[in-house]
Amino acid sequence: MKLIFAGILAGLIATTAAKAGEMVFTSWGGTTQEAQTKSWAEPFTASAGVKVLQDGPTDYGKLKAMVDAKNVTWDVVDVEMDFAIKAAKDGLLEPIDFAVVPKDDLDPRFSNEHAIGSFYYSFVLAWNKGAVPGEPAGWADMFDTKKFPGKRTFYKWSAPGVIEIALLADGVPADKLYPLDLDRAFKKLDTIKSDIVWWGGGAESQQLIASGEAAFGQLWNGRVFALEKDGADVGVSWNQNLTAADVLVVPKGAKNKDAAMKFLAAASSPTGQAKFAEASGYAPINTKAKAEMPADVVKGLPDAHVDGQINLDMNYWAEHRDEIATRWYAWQAK
Amino acid sequence: MRLPAGVGGLLPALTLIGLFFVVPVLALLLRSVTDPAPGLQNYAALLGDGTYARVFFNTFLVAFVVTIVTVLVAFPVAWMLAIMPPALASILFGIIILSMWTNLLTRTYAWMVLLQRTGVINRALIATGITDQPLPLINNLTGVTIGMVYIMLPFMILPLVGTLRAIDPMTLRAAALCGASPLAAFRRILLPLSLPGIAAGGLMVFVMSLGYFVTPALLGGTSNMMLAEMIAQMIQSLLNWGLGSAAAFILLVVTMALYALQLRLVGSKRAAGGA
Repeated sequence: MKLIFAGILAGLIATTAAKAGEMVFTSWGGTTQEAQTKSWAEPFTASAGVKVLQDGPTDYGKLKAMVDAKNVTWDVVDVEMDFAIKAAKDGLLEPIDFAVVPKDDLDPRFSNEHAIGSFYYSFVLAWNKGAVPGEPAGWADMFDTKKFPGKRTFYKWSAPGVIEIALLADGVPADKLYPLDLDRAFKKLDTIKSDIVWWGGGAESQQLIASGEAAFGQLWNGRVFALEKDGADVGVSWNQNLTAADVLVVPKGAKNKDAAMKFLAAASSPTGQAKFAEASGYAPINTKAKAEMPADVVKGLPDAHVDGQINLDMNYWAEHRDEIATRWYAWQAK
Repeated sequence: MRLPAGVGGLLPALTLIGLFFVVPVLALLLRSVTDPAPGLQNYAALLGDGTYARVFFNTFLVAFVVTIVTVLVAFPVAWMLAIMPPALASILFGIIILSMWTNLLTRTYAWMVLLQRTGVINRALIATGITDQPLPLINNLTGVTIGMVYIMLPFMILPLVGTLRAIDPMTLRAAALCGASPLAAFRRILLPLSLPGIAAGGLMVFVMSLGYFVTPALLGGTSNMMLAEMIAQMIQSLLNWGLGSAAAFILLVVTMALYALQLRLVGSKRAAGGA
C-alpha cells in the first residue's frame, strides 16, 4: 500500500524523465539555478555531449517519494548539507564515485561520502541604512532593542542559524556552540520575540530589508549581494558570519548515475566553481577556484571573511533536526 | 455479479473517483498508522501536544473569522449584482472572475506591500494624521483575514447572487406595503430567503480556508500558523510523513463532520447550493 501511494505520487511527479544521453538536474530555481545552468550544465553538455534537463524547485518530500517508489527521475539534486547527511543515513542517496569525481581540492568541510559541495554561503547581518541609526556591529546588536529599535528579521524555519545567533549574542564563545543549549537560546530569543518579523524565502528577506519593513536581519550573503547590485541602500556586517553549504547529491536509483557523477566532477572543478561563484556571490568549495576569479569578486565572497567565521555544525543538526524542530515550532506558536 | 441497472454506465466515473479520491485518502490513512511504525503514536503525538492543538485551533479560528467577514462583505455586493441591469452585472462579474484568474502569489505579495508597516495604507494613514503609529496590519490575524477574505469573495458572491436573483422582488415590495421598515424587511424576508446561498457559499469558503497555505504563510505571523503550513513542514522538511498524514487525516475528518452537521441543519438540498 505504501508503494502504491508513493507510486501515485511519483507518477504525478515524473514529468521530466530523461532519455539516454540526457540527465536531469534539480535545484531551487531563480538566479541560483540560472547560474548553475550557465556555469555547469551548458559547458558540461558541450564537453561531454550529455543534455542536462532542468527541474525544480528542490523538494525533499518528492525526492523521498521517488526513491520509495523506485521511480527516480532526478539524477543530481542541489540540497542543504544537513538534509544530505540525514538522507544518506536513511538510504536515500547514492555514494559518490570518487574514481570519477576528484576530491583532492575540495574543501573537506563541504563534502562527504554521499555529497559534493555545490557552493557555500554565509548568514550575515544586513541592514537598511535608512532605517538603522548607526552601524550594527554584530549579532548582539540584533538583540539590543534600546540601541537599535525597530523590527528585525530572521529565517522562519527550523534550520541551522537563528539558534546559533541567539547563543552568540548571549555571549557563548563560537567554539562552545555545540551541543546547542536550546533553553538558553529560546530565553534569549524571548527578549526580542515581539520585534521579530520572519522571512520564509530569500525574496521575502530582500523585500523586508529593502523596504525598511525590517530595519535589519539575518540574510544569505548572496541575497545581500543581489540587493547591492540593484543599488539598494544596504549595509552588511561579516562579523561572525555563519557558513553553511548546499551540496549536490545523487538520489538512490538515479537512472543516469554515470552521467551524474561526470556532472558532479564538472560542477566541482575549479572552473565550474569559479564561474558559479562569480555569477552568484556564493563561495566556491574547490580550493583552486579562487585563482581563476577576478580579485574584486573574491573580495565579496564568504571566503574573504574567514576571520571570525563560524561553521554551522551540519552533523549536529542532521542528528537533532526533529527534536529542535519540535521546540522551535512550539516556541514560535506561543 | 449483476450490477443494478444504470450502474454500468457509471463505471468509468466511479473508477476515476476511486483512483483519484478514495485510494489516496485510504493511503493517507494507512500511512498515518504505519509510518514510521504500526500504531496510533502519530495521533497520540498530535492530540497530546499543545503546539499542534494550538495550530488546529488557529486553523479553525482563521477559517471561521474569514467565513464570517466574507459573508458580511459579499452580501451587499451580491445584492447589488442581483438587482442591477443584467448587462452591467455581467461586466462586474467579469471583473470579479478576472481577479480570480490572477496569480495567487502575485496577489498575496501585493497585499504584503499594501499592509506592511511601511506600506501604502499605513503611510496614507500617517500622512493624513489619522494615526501616528503604523497599525499592525500584517504578520497577524488581521493580515491573514484581509488577504483571505479578498481571495474567497468570488466563491461567496457567486452562489449568493444565484440565490438572491431567485427571490421574487414582489415579496420585498409587499413587505414595504404592509409597513415593514427596510431593516425588518431585510431581517424577516431577505435574510431567511437568502440563507441557502449563504450556507452554500459559507461552507465552501470555510472548507477552502481550512486548507489554505500561501496567503497565511505570507501575511500571517508564526503565532497563527495554520495546519497546511505545518503539514508542509512535516512532509517536505522533516520527512515525517506519518505525522503529516495523521494531521491531514484529522483535518479531513473534522471537515467532513462539519459538512455532515450542516447538511443536517440546513437540509441537503440547500447546502449543496440548490435554492
